[in-house]
Order: sequence, then C-alpha cells, then structure tokens
Amino acid sequence: MDDPQLTDDEVVSSVLGGRDRDFEILVRRYSQRIIHFVARMTEDGDEARAIAQDVFLKIFEHLPYYRRENNFSAFIFKIARNMTLNWLKRRKRTVFFSRLLGHELDRLPLRRDPPRLSPMEQGEREQALTRQLRRLPVEQRLALVLKVYLEFSYKQIAGVTGWSVPKIETLISRAKARLRKGIRLQESGNEPVVEAREK
Amino acid sequence: MNCRMTIRRLSAFQDKELAAPQVRQVELHLRECGACRAEWDALRDLEQRLLGLPPAAVDPFFSTRIMAGLRPRPAGKNRLLQAAAFAALFITVFLAGFFLQKSALDRQDAERLPAVTFTSVLLERQDLGLLTVQEDTLRQFTRKRP
Repeated sequence: MDDPQLTDDEVVSSVLGGRDRDFEILVRRYSQRIIHFVARMTEDGDEARAIAQDVFLKIFEHLPYYRRENNFSAFIFKIARNMTLNWLKRRKRTVFFSRLLGHELDRLPLRRDPPRLSPMEQGEREQALTRQLRRLPVEQRLALVLKVYLEFSYKQIAGVTGWSVPKIETLISRAKARLRKGIRLQESGNEPVVEAREK
Repeated sequence: MNCRMTIRRLSAFQDKELAAPQVRQVELHLRECGACRAEWDALRDLEQRLLGLPPAAVDPFFSTRIMAGLRPRPAGKNRLLQAAAFAALFITVFLAGFFLQKSALDRQDAERLPAVTFTSVLLERQDLGLLTVQEDTLRQFTRKRP
C-alpha cells in the first residue's frame, strides 16, 4: 500500500484530488510515530491509541488547510501535540476534581501495555522512569519526547511547538537534569511525595 | 572551555545540536576532565534508559479502523463538476420559466377579443332594433378630444 516513491505532499495532493484511500499511506507512514509520541506524553497505551485515532481523523479533516511546503511531519505533529495537550489538561482537571472528592485518581497504577519479557529489576526501572517522565512539566516532556523518541532536531521541534531554539535547548536540558535527579532520589528511596506542578 | 560551560552544553552536544567548533571544544574537555566525563556518561545512561522503554503496541487494524471512520469528502474535480452542474440546472430552470411565462402571455394576447367602442355597441344594438340612437348622442361619443 505504501509507495515510498511518493512524497507526503504528493500523497496529500492525491487525497485532496479525490483518492481518499491514499490517506492510508499517510496513516501507515506515521501511525507508529504518532502513537509512540502520544503514548510517551500520556503514559497510557490505550488512551494513546484512541487519541492517535482522533489525530488522524482530524488530519484528514484539515488536509485542505495544509500548505504544501514539504513539511507534512510538522503539520501532523502540531495536531498531535494540540490534541495530546488538550487531553492532558482534561486529565489534570479530572485529577483535581477527583482529589476534591477524596479520590486519588493519579495514584492509581498506570495503565500500560504489557511489559516486554524482562527481569524484574528491568521492569521496576522502567516503571520508575515512566513515573519520572510523567512528573515532568508538560513543556519539558513535550520537547524531550520529540527529541528522544522522534529524533526531531531543535529546529523541527520549533516547527511543531512554535518555541525558539534556545528555549527548546533549555527545556530539554532541564528535563534531563530533572529526570536524573528524580531517578537518583527514587533509587535511593528518597522520592519526593509532592508531584511536580504541570505547566 | 571550562567545566561550567561544558556541563551547560552537554545536553545540546548529546542532541547533536552544537556547531562543529563547539563540538571539538566539548570533546577536548571531556578527554581531560573526569568529572565532566562522569556527567556525560550519566546523560548517555539516561538516554539509553529512555530509549529502552517499551513502545506502545500498534494495533494491526489501526489504519483499517481509521479508513473506516473517514467521512467521504468530494474530490476537487468532482466539486467543480458539481458546481457546474448546479449552475447549468439553475440556468435551465430560469430560462424554462422565462419562456413558459412569455408564451403564456402571448397566448393570452392572442385570445383577447378586439377592443369594442361604446359607439359601435350602440350602433349594433340599433341595428338589432333594440334601441334608437340619436345623432347628437353618437356625435357626442365620436367627438374628437382636443
């Protein structure tokens, strides 16, 4: 189905020309990365797949607004970013109200995909790291996920987020420092109880 | 380059975002400074741990589900054709209405009786013996207006 000879812009032209079926080429080309991105941002596999599905439906709706500048990746990740941040905001509100009502929703174990077959220690380390990732302020997490998991350059991240390159550099650097500190504290058993305030 | 500067640039160095001269400076410093090398190793370890997290599983029917959920959009060419068809239909209906109305009016005109003057009616009735019309009366009605 995926024709590697076709550029993203050519596929978009084809879809806009009436061949809706060609949209599947874009879905296949980007689904893995979009799901990966959303999953790392939300740390919830099921939600990530649901959000990713909505992201693609939105991309299809907004295709006529895409300006063909060979930057389709930035276009779709902008949509993915917005939808993910909206989801995170909604979850934050839910957590806030659940706390008001006396429930500790965000203390529930994370819903995640079944871990790979690995030693117990590896599983615990992954859990610890996931928890630390989740505690990062949203802007730091977004910049770090785009860099580490999607291998975007700072310039590409700027294209998706609208931030300046120095800001992105600072956000990523701080995210790494924060993660290292959190992991160190967690492994030494001095994990802070207070959650980081999400920006 | 001193330690403070190196530490500040390590993250960008790791992300391959430094310019070539800065890269050489950082590499040189790392070769000489054990403390900064330890920082660098810690950063690399963190990246390895981050990359070691299992990715979210992708449902094999993901794209099929998305394609099934798409609402069909009229294609560009088809949209143009549709617009042209609507325009043609509108013009046809408009012209048909115009000509139908015109022909109806023409028919009405054709069927209309010739104009009848009051004088001719009087004369007709006189011919039939129904009434007598005085000359003065006739002159009064046939008198030309100024």
